[in-house]
Amino acid sequence: MKATGVPMQVSTPAEREIRIERIFDAPREKVWRAFTDPSLVAQWWGRGNKLVVERMEVERGGHWRFVEHSPEGVHGFEGRYREVRKPERIVQTFEWDGMPGHVIVETVTFEDLGDGRTKVINLSLFHTTEERDGMLHSGMEQGLAESYAALDVLLAKVS
Amino acid sequence: MAQYSVRIDRTFAAVSDPTRRGILQRLGRKDVSISDLAAAFDMTLTGIKKHVQVLEDAGLVTTQKIGRVRTCRAGPRRLEEEAAWIVKYQEMLEGRMTRLGEFLERTKGSST
Repeated sequence: MKATGVPMQVSTPAEREIRIERIFDAPREKVWRAFTDPSLVAQWWGRGNKLVVERMEVERGGHWRFVEHSPEGVHGFEGRYREVRKPERIVQTFEWDGMPGHVIVETVTFEDLGDGRTKVINLSLFHTTEERDGMLHSGMEQGLAESYAALDVLLAKVS
Repeated sequence: MAQYSVRIDRTFAAVSDPTRRGILQRLGRKDVSISDLAAAFDMTLTGIKKHVQVLEDAGLVTTQKIGRVRTCRAGPRRLEEEAAWIVKYQEMLEGRMTRLGEFLERTKGSST
């Protein structure tokens, strides 16, 4: 196989972050389409396994869900698009059915190198279980406080 | 929380390297000597020792010297469920990037 650009650069730049960078010998427009057109995604995302794109709403808040059929079994992955800025940036959440609640935020940046090649940088941020539970807890507390405040108002009205 | 982060960070650093992931996979099956690992990964003893040291610092591997042979085995922590998922995720990500490169190469010059 012919080598395409430089090899992959993998690093862990900060706490719970994985950064993967690779240069592709293709124009940015085409690389963008490979990430956002379901029929093209199906041809590489499953790493050689059959991939069913169940949902793919490429827009802010849009939902995506892919199901990969590998020899070891069927695995579902899903998330939401947080930011879609054509043709330079996609931010999305990523969850595997097998680890529900372990949300990864992926930021994919597409850099036009000006010579027909494109640099793709994928930065993945993992939320730890403890962190997630902490957020859930504080969110619940706040929700509860708001409910009580509303109750206070209601009680003041009826009394 | 802080301790947890340090632990996860060490795990991250330890498993960010394909050779170290390969070592962990091997040790999941059986204990292996340093020289066997060096042969398996086609590396020098010094090179493989460095990798084993990183894994040892992260608590993922323990080593024991009996006679002239240093044997490695899966460490007390092994890979927690979450760390194992991180490893798996990274492998998938690298696999995807490789496949994307192949796809773009295959469809070179065409509009799709």
